[in-house]
Amino acid sequence: MREQHKNITGKNSGSSSALSDVIIQTKHVDKYFYDPEKFKVLSDINIQLKRAEFCSIMGASGSGKSTLLYLLSTLDTDYEGEIWIDDTNLKTLSKNQLAELRNERIGFVFQFHYLLPEFTVLENVKLPALKLARYSDAEIEQKALEKLDILGLRDQALKRANKLSGGQQQRVAIARALINDPEIIFGDEPTGNLDSKNAQMVTGILKELKQELKQTILVVTHDNNFAASTERIIVFKDGEVVEDKYNS
Amino acid sequence: MFKKLAKQNPTFRIALTHLLGKRRQTLVAMLGVTFGIAVFIFQAGLIMGFQTTFIDRTINTTANIRLFNEADKNRRSLVEEFDTAASHWTVVYSQKPKEVEPKIKNASYIIHDIERNPDVAGVSPFLAAQVIFRSGITQKAGHADGVDVRSEDKLFDMKQYMKEGDLLKLETMSNAIILGSGLAADLGAKINDNITVVSQKGVSLSLKVVGIHESGLTEIDKVRAYVKINTAQKLLNTDANYITDINIKLRNIDKAEELAKDFQRKYNCKSEDWKQANANIFGIFKVQNMVTYLVIISILIVSGFGIFNIQMMIIYEKMGDIAILKAIGYKDRDIKKIFLTESIVIGITGGLLGLLLGYIVSVIIGSIPINVNGFISVNHLTFNRDPILFVLAFVFGIIATSIAGYLPARKAAKVDPVDIIRGK
Ligand SMILES: Nc1ncnc2c1ncn2[C@@H]1O[C@H](COP(=O)(O)OP(=O)(O)OP(=O)(O)O)[C@@H](O)[C@H]1O
Ligand SMILES: [Mg+2]
Repeated sequence: MREQHKNITGKNSGSSSALSDVIIQTKHVDKYFYDPEKFKVLSDINIQLKRAEFCSIMGASGSGKSTLLYLLSTLDTDYEGEIWIDDTNLKTLSKNQLAELRNERIGFVFQFHYLLPEFTVLENVKLPALKLARYSDAEIEQKALEKLDILGLRDQALKRANKLSGGQQQRVAIARALINDPEIIFGDEPTGNLDSKNAQMVTGILKELKQELKQTILVVTHDNNFAASTERIIVFKDGEVVEDKYNS
Repeated sequence: MFKKLAKQNPTFRIALTHLLGKRRQTLVAMLGVTFGIAVFIFQAGLIMGFQTTFIDRTINTTANIRLFNEADKNRRSLVEEFDTAASHWTVVYSQKPKEVEPKIKNASYIIHDIERNPDVAGVSPFLAAQVIFRSGITQKAGHADGVDVRSEDKLFDMKQYMKEGDLLKLETMSNAIILGSGLAADLGAKINDNITVVSQKGVSLSLKVVGIHESGLTEIDKVRAYVKINTAQKLLNTDANYITDINIKLRNIDKAEELAKDFQRKYNCKSEDWKQANANIFGIFKVQNMVTYLVIISILIVSGFGIFNIQMMIIYEKMGDIAILKAIGYKDRDIKKIFLTESIVIGITGGLLGLLLGYIVSVIIGSIPINVNGFISVNHLTFNRDPILFVLAFVFGIIATSIAGYLPARKAAKVDPVDIIRGK
């Protein structure tokens, strides 16, 4: 199976194999923390996420959801087992290659927005694209404005990020995650800090994005209604996957 | 230009934002560098200026090479000469140096020969007599240097250093003397006064003061007088061929050491070049330079700490920024670049200001008339404002700030985004 996997050349692999639909795959992933004592946070995680799948992760607090997301998003490289994105084993990539991969192919929305407070909304959204440097500054600006438009923030573009409300800031963070049109978007309780009205708005936007942009979306959430509206729910308990079901 | 850089280069933009967010601390760190560089320019310029002035005057007033003869102090005893067997020691106590006349043999031939050497700019015979100068009841010990005025002037530009009187009268008048300025002041002697000069041989001459000479080297001006060679010979009670020194001026003073050795071998006498003659002065210069470097280094270290400090502050405040930049794909080296840029911006602006400040202060201080009569007498401070010095100061400043900024920058690059993002 491994051999077969290696032969697949990413996006343009065609339909020669069922595996070509899989964009992220974990194989027997274990994760330990050593502080204050050795402690297994994740135990034998085997998950396959299909391209353009909209999936939610649920589970009690402390069950290891965030930890898994940090591993999948390549921010945390200290684990056992293997994580594959397309036909690449993350363990084979250097730190810099991982940074490039994050920049180009992964968007992340955290519970906190992490906008640079002194920069304008527009500048914040542009940051990942300037790093990628695939387009001219004018094109990047254009794209950033488009994303802000989708999130209903076009009129806020030139305001400083710290002058916005919490809900607005979180939407700017989503625009920033989208700017490079990544194939995968991770969300770690993206509505966790918001009141219910703003939370609804953000979840609504994520659902719309799914309809329009065909990205793979994986979101950790405590919101049953939101989870129910995704295609698939994975449930964690004490570092293990205890349930993995498709909504019909 | 800044705007354009900032637009296309987010790391530069972020760096500027960080600095502008901490205007006051940034300014303090910058002024630290400014101060360090200004002191560098001022202090090094002053010391180097002083040393150049001193060397100029010394070169102008001492020979590049001096040929002389002296008593052989390490002469082997007669017993040693004959008893060469190594089986036992023979010791001769209280051996006195043989009375070798410190006269240069064949002086006129040597002078004539050296004059034809293409490396030589001038040769002047010389004869010093240790004497007591008397004027009324005041008396002072010193030396009367017998010189040939014309060749001496050619070597040492005596005319330029004449404070009063006429140099050439030394040649035209028979019993003339030119006094050093300090000596004249101590004796209370003026032009046309008669003073008495008594030598160790007991010869006493009455000489007329025809000029006052001021080399600017205070210690020398206090003890030296010039007389004609035959006056000095009279004082020493010797014949008309008696010369103790031959002073030589070269076209290129860097050849002094080499030529001194040549002449010593060729003419079978002792020689000393200007560096050997002033060895103690160069020793003092070394100490001066070391003190200067120490002062400069300590100031640069202090300004380095200023930068280190503000950088650490910014990093702790901007942990969130660092974490998200890494999460969205900025590499460790991009982060390092942001913080190094900050230090270097502080270093460059502070450094340029420091160069300007150092220059202005040295111009102002250099233009204030002062009268110092210490090591050398000057009427204003001379600063060395060699462009190399400015380049050096600037480069040192940038190196110091880069080193000071490097540690925080590396720390920032090592921040683990997961730790920060979990923490919120
Ligand atoms: N750096 C760390 N060192 C030691 N233990 C840690 C560390 N980070 C997390 N843990 C522990 O790992 C376990 C899983 O944490 P994780 O943040 O993944 O939980 P979670 O499912 O995201 O919870 P929540 O719903 O509250 O966000 C928890 O018990 C937590 O205390
Ligand atoms: Mg969590």
